[in-house]
Amino acid sequence: MIELTIISWIMAFLVIGAAIYAIETKDLISAAIAAGVASLVVSIMFLVLQAPDVAITEASIGAGLTMAIFVYAIGRTGRWEE
Amino acid sequence: MNIYFFYLIISILAISIALGLYRLVKGPSVSDRAVALDALTNVTTALLVLIAVLSARFIYLDVALVYAILAFIGVVAIARYLEGGL
Repeated sequence: MIELTIISWIMAFLVIGAAIYAIETKDLISAAIAAGVASLVVSIMFLVLQAPDVAITEASIGAGLTMAIFVYAIGRTGRWEE
Repeated sequence: MNIYFFYLIISILAISIALGLYRLVKGPSVSDRAVALDALTNVTTALLVLIAVLSARFIYLDVALVYAILAFIGVVAIARYLEGGL
């Protein structure tokens, strides 16, 4: 399936960009948002690799719950990294 | 169905993802990044449905359903933080 190959290449570039930005930024809220995007893309990659149950778990835990907990923790501590 | 139809849809989604990623990285404020995340969520849901159509397995639609239901929690948390309540 050449279409799934094209989608996989697009997702590869997207997850690399989001991960590099999540590491390099000093704003922790932006880092949490970029980590959410990376988790979202990894969920699509699991679906392309024919594992829909893992993709459901990654989409619910990684994209929804983890980013909410990160934002809650950043709200309790500090926003900017030294 | 015509194969160029899928190529057209993949091209549109790729352009949308590129624009969303540009705004996610370049955006000056956190509000721009939150809106870019929400836009990427919608594009991703469409992409999950496209993968379900290409694979011809309707069990893949459950992933898109669960993701569309649960993905707004992060955006709501970020909006609540920017408001100052969290």
